[in-house]
Amino acid sequence: MLLIRIVLVLGCVLAAAACGDRSTGSAAVTLVFKHAKILGPSDPVPRLLREFEARNPGVRVRSESLPWSSDEQHQFYVVNLEGGNAGVDVLMLDVIWVPEFAQAGWLLDLTPFLEPSELDGHFPAAIEAARAHGRVWALPWFMNVGLLYYRKDLLDKYGLRPPETYAELIAQVRRIKSGERDPRLDGFLWQGKQYEGMVVNVLEGFWANDARVLGPSDTVFPEPERAEEVLAFLRALIEEGISPAWVTAADEELTRRPFQDGRAIFLRSWPYAMDLFGLPDSVVRGKVGIAPLPRHARGTRGVGSSGGAHLGVYRQTRHPEAAVALARFLASEVAERAMVEGAALSPSRMALYHDADLVRGHPSFPAIHTLAMAAQPRPVTPYYLMLSTVLQPELSAALVGIKTPRQAVAGARYQIRHLLQSVR
Amino acid sequence: MTRRGHVLDLLVLLVLVLYAVPFFWQLLTSFKPDAELLQAPSILPTRLTTVHYDAVLGRSLIPRALTNSFAVAVLTTLSAVALGLGAAYALARFPVPGKNLILLGVIAGTAFPQIAIVSPLYLVMRALGLRDTWGALILANVSFALPLVIWLLTGFIREIPEALEEAAALDGAGRIAILRWVVLPLVAPGLASAALLTFLGSWNEFLFAYTFTASEASRTVPVALALFPGVFEVPWGDIAAASMLASLPPVLIVIGLQRFLLRGLLAGALRE
Amino acid sequence: MTKRQRADRRTGLLFLAPALLTLGAVTLYPAVSVFWLSLQYRIPIFGIARFAGLDHYAFLAADPRFLNAARVTLGFTAASVALELGVGLLAALLLRRQRAGRRAALSLLLLAWALPSVVTAKLFEWLYHPTAGLVNVVLGGHAFNWLGDPRLAVAGVILADVWRTMPFVALLCYARLLTISPELYEAARVDGAGGLAIFRRITFPLLRSVLLIALSFRTLDALRAFDLMFVLTGGGPANTTETLTVYAYRSLFQTLQLGLGSAIGVAVFALVMLVAWVYLGMLHREGTAA
Repeated sequence: MLLIRIVLVLGCVLAAAACGDRSTGSAAVTLVFKHAKILGPSDPVPRLLREFEARNPGVRVRSESLPWSSDEQHQFYVVNLEGGNAGVDVLMLDVIWVPEFAQAGWLLDLTPFLEPSELDGHFPAAIEAARAHGRVWALPWFMNVGLLYYRKDLLDKYGLRPPETYAELIAQVRRIKSGERDPRLDGFLWQGKQYEGMVVNVLEGFWANDARVLGPSDTVFPEPERAEEVLAFLRALIEEGISPAWVTAADEELTRRPFQDGRAIFLRSWPYAMDLFGLPDSVVRGKVGIAPLPRHARGTRGVGSSGGAHLGVYRQTRHPEAAVALARFLASEVAERAMVEGAALSPSRMALYHDADLVRGHPSFPAIHTLAMAAQPRPVTPYYLMLSTVLQPELSAALVGIKTPRQAVAGARYQIRHLLQSVR
Repeated sequence: MTRRGHVLDLLVLLVLVLYAVPFFWQLLTSFKPDAELLQAPSILPTRLTTVHYDAVLGRSLIPRALTNSFAVAVLTTLSAVALGLGAAYALARFPVPGKNLILLGVIAGTAFPQIAIVSPLYLVMRALGLRDTWGALILANVSFALPLVIWLLTGFIREIPEALEEAAALDGAGRIAILRWVVLPLVAPGLASAALLTFLGSWNEFLFAYTFTASEASRTVPVALALFPGVFEVPWGDIAAASMLASLPPVLIVIGLQRFLLRGLLAGALRE
Repeated sequence: MTKRQRADRRTGLLFLAPALLTLGAVTLYPAVSVFWLSLQYRIPIFGIARFAGLDHYAFLAADPRFLNAARVTLGFTAASVALELGVGLLAALLLRRQRAGRRAALSLLLLAWALPSVVTAKLFEWLYHPTAGLVNVVLGGHAFNWLGDPRLAVAGVILADVWRTMPFVALLCYARLLTISPELYEAARVDGAGGLAIFRRITFPLLRSVLLIALSFRTLDALRAFDLMFVLTGGGPANTTETLTVYAYRSLFQTLQLGLGSAIGVAVFALVMLVAWVYLGMLHREGTAA
């Protein structure tokens, strides 16, 4: 009898202790931070997470990595977030997913947690992408803009300046190739594999010809002939040898390496590559210039697509305060500065592009800043991913030549119209 | 004649070995060191290594996936047999109303395309919160396993002469007792065949497993193999090792339980 | 009906009930439900669920991608099945004369059939590797991009499928060949008939029904094929290997359009059931004729 009493008392004490711990919040909190692999000389994320843990005793952060490609990451998120209880707290999001994830109810509304002017330091395009319905759903982290890399040494050799139109680009490629007489020198590299990156490349081409995918009032391809022209142009690049045939199977990394090995004149890619071109073992070290993408003859100006990553907080996180604190920390100026120093990426905070120390290490920062201010976002809609998965096979068919541009645009248009009807 | 016969036999075996070369090539690849994998045209490696198996068994999701696959396959087989035996006995022996229609429906059930029923099943699993559970996969697998088992067992039971059951009935045995003591021992080989085919079908199943599992820990082997991680370069050696591990039960069944397997395959097809 | 018969009837239904209930839940209900889904605009992650009537079907009727998928499905089925039957028959004829090592022979043959389709896909993905793949090495070092070239990918998928399923056909034919008594062949040879004539006059007619069964099984399986092309090429490059099943799956779980994907699934369902019905008729006639 006494024994039972002792056990009961002990039990109550233990239970009270446990409850007490929870209510005072001194129990350890573990946050899960999911992010993609960061390219560059050294991965700055672990150090930043440890610093966050030091500043926030009682909070531990476990980082988990995402699959490699954007499409796979998206698939992973959709599959896991849809079921609820995803076991993730802070997520790294491609900028194009923010409206979709907000609409699906997977992101925590960050507006009440933020200072009124907290977002002011970021690029306007990045802020735009983080907002929907007047609320803030994610914090900008990296900023990307599509741009043209060119071999300064080769262009200088032939007295050429960066091309403003694609016709100029083709002429320059022909001139340089016939002058260099190097069979292993390719002209213009871009990403044509069937994935999101290819859609970006084609969209930049569309915009450079004043064509759009989505027009006002849900119209699709309002200028179809302009879009078809662009597809025909891209196909012709391959057929006429300006671009090698393997670009239709290439992504960012598969095109960066040959350019870094000195085997191409022009490359369309993102700012991250510049840091890698400056590495000691790079053949093109000091020989690379950046320019805005060219325009087509009928277009107004060449445009780079905006891109990048944001940080979101899972709506059903068990530790909203801690998770938001982590996101705000990673998006702070201090953290972004640390990221620039360790990784090959462009931060979302504009001030860093004119910071004396950083510019010394990244001389192209001011130029990237100018380009990023003019960047064009991909259609900002929760249904962008659906659009992209419909566009990918159609555009790919035109690029490899098994469909005419007309068939590809018509096919894409037909499917997108039906899609838009579903979500009306 | 016999000498020539032996030579011909050997030739046929050789042709069949050549036919199975894709499998043997993968087996060889699983023991090739990484450095030699992408060097063409190297066929024979200079040395064999177990580094891929170490990686797969020690640092990948495959061991967990093997457990999942095995559990789902065994439980599917048990469920299908438990449900199907009684049903087959009823269809074979009892004057069930609409028997022929039911049997036709069951046969039609074996022809059902999985893709057509995956979307409603997905919504059901989601609503019941069964995603990432063995239960979801077992239920889904039963959708194709049960019709197969019923169809096979109905045929096998029909082959047994009714006289034995009638004799037992005359002796006063109840229906369940007859099933348990007379029919079951006689249909056991056929039952084994049906169970084997079910096990194989469940082990190899991909579409449902891919759709109904979200987390890495709940994947079955086909899904884990299809989603084998690779960042820049594809780890062909590791994938080969994982493929070999995934092939273990099927290979063992084909070599060790061939008689039962053949019986099941032929019975289903040849008894029209 | 006698009391005994009524009791039997009840017991029979009792034995049947659990299985029928299960089938009702996991087969019948989804089969009906998918029709209902196909009549809706249904996108779960956005909470979209409203009636669409026949909109999806109207869309598919003029959808170039659907027509392409149908063409790929039918082409794949025709080529696969034709090759499987041809090669399978040859293999069975080869095996028939086997005396020693039958078990080993069957093991080697059935290996291809028993492997999980994902394993087969990975096998062939490696074989088709442009530089290190065995296929290109054997072909003399030409770097054909089997799975990346839109003109070659379909052939690559068909080859993998034939490799995987030919053993089934071979087995059926082999089993039937074993039942043909050797006396028939003896008599024919005594009469002076050559190999080809024996095949045409004796072997083939006796194999007809088995070939028809194999044909029906394999056609239905090929129409429903999903795993191989999904894992090997994902339907690419540029939808050249996208069958109806892959189109349905991608609509369902990549663009998350459950309504449209279900409509494509219903189309596959209808196609398969139609073909099954036709074959059942043929087999029935074959059975009654024989």
